[in-house]
Amino acid sequence: MTDASAATSQLFDMWRKQLEESTQAWTRLVSQAPAPPPDPMAFWRPVLNQGLEQWARMFAQTPASPDLVTQWKQFLDQWIEAWSRVLGQAMNTEAFAQFMGRSLEGWLTVQAPFKKAGEQALEQAVTTLNLASRSQLTAVAKQIVELEERLERVEDGVQAILRRLDHKERA
Amino acid sequence: MGQERFADVVERFTNGFAAGAAAASPETVKQWQEELDRNVRRLTNLGKLATASEPRTGQTPRQEIYKRNKSRLYRYASSRRHRTPILFVPNLGISRPYIFDLLPGGSFVEHMTREGFDFYLLDWGVFGPEDNDLTFEDCVVKILPRMARKVLESSGAEELSVLGYCMGAPLSASFVASHPEIPVKTFINMAGPIDFSKIGLFGLWLDRRYFDVDRFVDTLGAVPADLVKAGFKLLKPTMDLSTNLNLWWNLWNDKYVEGFTALNKWANEYVAFPGEFFRQWVRDFYQGNKLVRGELVFGGRPVRLGDIRCPVFVVGAKEDYIAPPACVRALIDAVGSREKDYTELPGGHISLIAGRGAALHCWPKVSGWLAPHS
Repeated sequence: MTDASAATSQLFDMWRKQLEESTQAWTRLVSQAPAPPPDPMAFWRPVLNQGLEQWARMFAQTPASPDLVTQWKQFLDQWIEAWSRVLGQAMNTEAFAQFMGRSLEGWLTVQAPFKKAGEQALEQAVTTLNLASRSQLTAVAKQIVELEERLERVEDGVQAILRRLDHKERA
Repeated sequence: MGQERFADVVERFTNGFAAGAAAASPETVKQWQEELDRNVRRLTNLGKLATASEPRTGQTPRQEIYKRNKSRLYRYASSRRHRTPILFVPNLGISRPYIFDLLPGGSFVEHMTREGFDFYLLDWGVFGPEDNDLTFEDCVVKILPRMARKVLESSGAEELSVLGYCMGAPLSASFVASHPEIPVKTFINMAGPIDFSKIGLFGLWLDRRYFDVDRFVDTLGAVPADLVKAGFKLLKPTMDLSTNLNLWWNLWNDKYVEGFTALNKWANEYVAFPGEFFRQWVRDFYQGNKLVRGELVFGGRPVRLGDIRCPVFVVGAKEDYIAPPACVRALIDAVGSREKDYTELPGGHISLIAGRGAALHCWPKVSGWLAPHS
C-alpha cells in the first residue's frame, strides 16, 4: 500500500508540475493578449486532459481498499491547491487588477444614484410619518460620541491637576 | 493518454477495483468496516451540525476595565505571575476578536493567562454610520494612549508590553513610535503588515492606478461587512471548497466538528470599516507605504519606526497571503531597538494565532519570549 501511495503521490507531483508550467504559460498569455482565445475549450483542455489522465492512472493502479478514499481525498486536496495557484497567479496580474478596478468603478457608478435616491425616499417617508430619520439618529449618536470625548478630556484635566497637587503636598 | 476515451477510464477503474476486491484480506475488510463506521458518524454529525446551537466562544473569565464609544478594554483573570501587563491590540474592523479566545483548550488568551500574564484585550467593537469620521490617526492619537493608560492604572504597573496582531500591529507600532511618554517595555508584532510594498495581492488590487479610494468612500460612506467579506473571499477563492471538503473528511470526529462550528461562526462574522479609517488605511499604508518611509504625522507627532527602542519581537507566518512574511519582517530593519528577534512559523494569517498549529508553534514562542521580559 505504501508503494502504491508513493507512486500515486509521485504522479501527483508530476501532474502538478505540468499544471503549474501550463498555468504560467496561460498567465503570460492572459497578461499579453487582452482578447479571449477563440475556442474556450482549447484554453482549458490541457488541464482537463491532465486531470483525466491522472484519474485513469490512479484508478488503474489502486487496489480496492479504503485507502482509495484517502488517495481520492489527497487528489482533491492537490487539485484544489493547484487551482488555487492557478487562480492566485491569474489574479496577481496587472490585467486582473485593472479589470477589478473597472468593475468596481462601474458598480459604484450604478450604485451612487440608487443609494442617494433610496436614502432620500426613506428620509422623506419617515419625516412624513413624524419619525426620526436615519441621518438624524446618526447625528444624535455623533453628538453623544463627541460628548463622551469632551468628558474624557475634562477627566484627564482633573486628574492632571490632582497629580500636580499631590506632588506639591509631598514636596 | 492522448485521445483516450472516458469509457477506457471507466473500464480500467472497474478492472482495478475488481482485482483488488478479489484479493481482499481480513485487514482490508476491517478497514472497510472502519470506513463504514466513520461514514455513519459523518452522517450523524451532519445532522447535529444542521441543528446545533451557536457555540459558546470567549469563555475565559474577564472584566471590562474601560469603554469608549464602541471600544472596550478587557482584563482577563490570571495568577499574574509576571509584573508587566500586556495590551493586546487586534485588527479594527474585518472580524471580531473572539478568535483569540475561541474555545477552552484552543484559546490564545487562555494560554497567556495560564502562563501567568496580566492580559488585556482591546476590542475595537462594531462601528456604525455615526463612526464614519473615525480615522486611523484618531485610533493612534486618541484611543490607544488612553487604553494604555487604563492598563497601567488598573494593573498598578509602571510599564506595559504591547502586542499587535494583523492591522493591530501597524496601529500599535504607530502609537508606540509617536508616544515616547507611554512606558512601553516590549513590543510584539504578530503577522502585522509593515512594508506595504511587499503586501501581495491586496497591494496590487488597491494600487492607486486601479482603485480610487476617495470615490469608494465618498459613494458608500463606510465599507460594508459584505464587501469586506467579498474582498477576503476573493483573495483565496478555493478556501470555501477546501474548508467544506475537510469538514466532510473530518465530520466523523466530534472534536473537529466542535472546533469547526466555532471557527465557522467567527469566519462568517465580518465587520464593517468606518469610511474615513478605510480611506486613510488604504491611502497612507497600501498606496503610500508611509509607515515604513517615516512619512506619517499623527496628532502633530511624526511617526518614525526608528523611535521604537524597546525590545521587539516579530512573528511572521510562512503561508500568510494577507500579510506575507517579508512585509511583516520589515519591522526588524525599521526599529531602533538593540534587542530584536524575528521568527517565521508554519501556518497562515489565522492559523498562526488560532487552532492546533498555533498552540504548538506560535503561543509557546510568544509567551516564551515575553516571560523573561515581563
